[in-house]
Amino acid sequence: MLPNNEVRVPPPRAVAQSAVPRDITAEFTEAASKLRTGQLVKDEMFTLFEAVGALEIMDSKMDSGYIAPGENLAQALEHDYDVRRDLTPEELVGLMDQLLCHEMAWHMGHPLSQTLFTSIYIDKLLWPVPRTMEDARFDRVPSENPLVGLVLRTYCLALVKACDFVHARVASEYFYEEEDFVTQLYNRNLLSAFDSSHFYRLLDQAVNWVESQEGIDKKLRDAIRSRLQLRWEFLAAVDQDLEILDTGSTDSFESCLAHLKPVTESVALGKAVPEAFSLKLQRKLASTVPPRPIVHIKQEDALAHMKRLCQDAIDMQQMLGYSSPSNFKTAVWTLLSRKPQPSVYIRSLLQALIVNGMTILGAVSVRQFLYDDLAELVLPSSILLRANTDEVELPSDPRFRIAQIMEGFVKRFAQPFVDTVRSACLNRCRVRRTICHTAVDWDNLQMEAEELDLQLQNLSAEPALQFQGGEATFSYPLSSWAYHQKLIQLRLILQMGFELSIYAPEELPGIYWYLSHICSTHLSHLDRIRTFTVAARKRDLVSSGHEESSAQRSPAYHRSFLYLERLTTHIIAIDAFAIALHALYVLLARHQILPSAGGPGAYSSDKLRYELRMKPFIPISLPELVPYEEYHREATLEGDTDATILDRASKAITEARKAWEATLANGAFIEDVSSPAKEPSIAIEEDWRRDIKDMMRACIGASIAIETVKKALLGDKPPSEENPLNLQVVIPEIGSKTQWHDWWIVPQISEKKAANPTTS
Amino acid sequence: MTQDAPSDLRYVRYDSARENEYVAAMRQLISKDLSEPYSIYVYRYFLYQWGDLCFLAMDDKDEMVGVVVSKLEPHRGGPLRGYIAMLAVREEYRGRGIATKLVRMAIDAMTERNADEIVLETEITNTAAMKLYERLGFLRSKRLHRYYLNGNSAYRLVLYLREGVGSIRTSFDPYGLPPPPPMDQSYQTPTATQGNGS
Repeated sequence: MLPNNEVRVPPPRAVAQSAVPRDITAEFTEAASKLRTGQLVKDEMFTLFEAVGALEIMDSKMDSGYIAPGENLAQALEHDYDVRRDLTPEELVGLMDQLLCHEMAWHMGHPLSQTLFTSIYIDKLLWPVPRTMEDARFDRVPSENPLVGLVLRTYCLALVKACDFVHARVASEYFYEEEDFVTQLYNRNLLSAFDSSHFYRLLDQAVNWVESQEGIDKKLRDAIRSRLQLRWEFLAAVDQDLEILDTGSTDSFESCLAHLKPVTESVALGKAVPEAFSLKLQRKLASTVPPRPIVHIKQEDALAHMKRLCQDAIDMQQMLGYSSPSNFKTAVWTLLSRKPQPSVYIRSLLQALIVNGMTILGAVSVRQFLYDDLAELVLPSSILLRANTDEVELPSDPRFRIAQIMEGFVKRFAQPFVDTVRSACLNRCRVRRTICHTAVDWDNLQMEAEELDLQLQNLSAEPALQFQGGEATFSYPLSSWAYHQKLIQLRLILQMGFELSIYAPEELPGIYWYLSHICSTHLSHLDRIRTFTVAARKRDLVSSGHEESSAQRSPAYHRSFLYLERLTTHIIAIDAFAIALHALYVLLARHQILPSAGGPGAYSSDKLRYELRMKPFIPISLPELVPYEEYHREATLEGDTDATILDRASKAITEARKAWEATLANGAFIEDVSSPAKEPSIAIEEDWRRDIKDMMRACIGASIAIETVKKALLGDKPPSEENPLNLQVVIPEIGSKTQWHDWWIVPQISEKKAANPTTS
Repeated sequence: MTQDAPSDLRYVRYDSARENEYVAAMRQLISKDLSEPYSIYVYRYFLYQWGDLCFLAMDDKDEMVGVVVSKLEPHRGGPLRGYIAMLAVREEYRGRGIATKLVRMAIDAMTERNADEIVLETEITNTAAMKLYERLGFLRSKRLHRYYLNGNSAYRLVLYLREGVGSIRTSFDPYGLPPPPPMDQSYQTPTATQGNGS
């Protein structure tokens, strides 16, 4: 269906023209008089965007000012809730919890107009816009009941102030309006002008007052106090949230978690006050949107959301110690792959920490980050990364030219490279879509890097390598590095497709074949890189008369070899698993037991569907898109017998299990032997291990499936025309229990029950 | 769903001469499934320009029980793209293949007019719609996060009708991914619009 939100429709092109206002009343009346009632005039410029955004006046579903017959203006616009009314402690707790629900619903992406701004108390605080803290109160004559005038008011103020910080954080980073978050404030201000010290002082006062109230039941007193304390700590946590870079402290978020516990346990004490919220407030908000219902989320969902937010923020601290680009990238990707995905606030905070003012994690320059990555992958010890125009000032010196070229490289590549890390902070759908775009950019970047490589190989007098019988070749370090980035992206496009559940069952053989194709391309590329690094190391050892400098360089080479080996192991694991699943799915398709989404009378064709599915790969020049005919041959294993394919599946799944075990043993991070031991990144590392273990579980599931098919195919009663394979296949849904890992769709295969064909 | 539609139903093309009667009926049919209705302008936008790509199913009392609304125009200077905007069948008539028949009529009409591809979005919770389109050969090309006002995500479903569509160049995508903000300053908010963009 067409989206019912104009933000989702292409906006009209801006036409640059200046309008000169003039009175057209007479012309308009005259023209209008010639129309029949109901006759339509369509302007050429009236677009879908305007059509979807248009409202019909006097339609109650669209017109927020609509007053129904029999309703008077006052009834329609005014609520009759008295904000000065007394509240029982139970009602106070209930209200605080309702407000927390609305706050979290807003964090989850719902607009303020359907959440917090339906609270009459919040409305009173923020409108008219308070000029002083004093002004920010429920009524001109404040309630004499401190439960209302002090405690509830303070709670609301601290909540709004926390929203102010969250709003500022998200709005300053890269996110999608209405998709991740709604920044619209409807002309209200979230108390951004007031210093947070006021709020802490009020919270302290309120806590002190509550503690001294012997008259209130202790349980309720504690419930109120823990809610105020939670507000104190949450405000402190989101206030100055970038300071974690300097302090490394997550104390506030940890205190939030501590207070969330008693808050959660005392929810039942509260008594909701639904009349303190009103949809009528929407009519006062500066907005053209139609009236939309109040969003109600469950209390436990709100608390769980906040708890997760705090936990994610705490665990984030573990990626702040920069040791190498690969470790950093692993930590970022692992944290952001959590299910459910970290909230938009966390993802925004992460972006700010990843890169701020051309600095990674507040510590490493973007240039250094790029150089470290080059050193790790392709240039463990190279003149290219050491050349420096400050040291060599003679323009005729090749090192001067090298430094200049590398300077240009940094300028061109730093941003796209940092973006490969940062884009993981987007929502998962956008991550994949962004990669589809950036893969094309990297295709171009690789070509640009190749130009630079050619210049550099002359300047650095790089000796050529002679492969067996082949032509002399050079290392092309920069473009090799760029190609590596691109191959990762191409693989992610395919793998995230599984996670987002976009493939039809009949596509699975082909997609797993393509995945293994990308992996094997990647593996040969890593081999090539390794060959050149080995040669460079040899040259270093032989030519270098200075024993010392060669020894100094040894750790850099060691590290690079280690990195290449880890990468290779990981990609072999993916490759082997993909080969195994490809083979398995080919058999299921061949014996017509693979479910299919497409029907017999479908439009289009396999070839057209291949073109559509591979669209992100079409513009890529290297590796070229596999032509359909070749793809079809390979993906269906044309000409191979069932026995050959079974053998292939069994061998591959065994290799995959071994390679995943080796990957797990290698660990998430490369430990730096030379630097003092750092605190282990427990939570993120645990996530990473769980992820690998889930893949291993999927591997085991796949072995069992392969065995089942083998038994049915090669058993006593091999299938024939009259007697087809007696198996049934279920493709588990993403997120279901039988789906061990989002990236590995393992079919559930069982023997068909003879008598009872109810499941299909 | 696969059996032929019962013969007591008539399938007709939208006729602008009967606008008042048809538009009111289709609005009623479509609004039932929506949390927030489309304004009359949305219907007019489609029907005035592509009324011939709108098909109706009428029962024996000449009451509307199903409708499909679509459009066809070049996509950003590239392929001729058909778009299925709305599809609805009255509840008690579902499961009889009426929606499939209507969609086929729309696709056939667009094919006759040389469409290169057909796209649409569907809520991920709407498994019936997804099954319908996938049976007809559509593939999910991407997932759209929180696409609808109720916070539900969608899938973009696409059907290519001729070879080479995937390589047709489109002009710069003004609704696609905005460039990331530069690293050294960050007060910049991307606009989230992607409509029919790729």
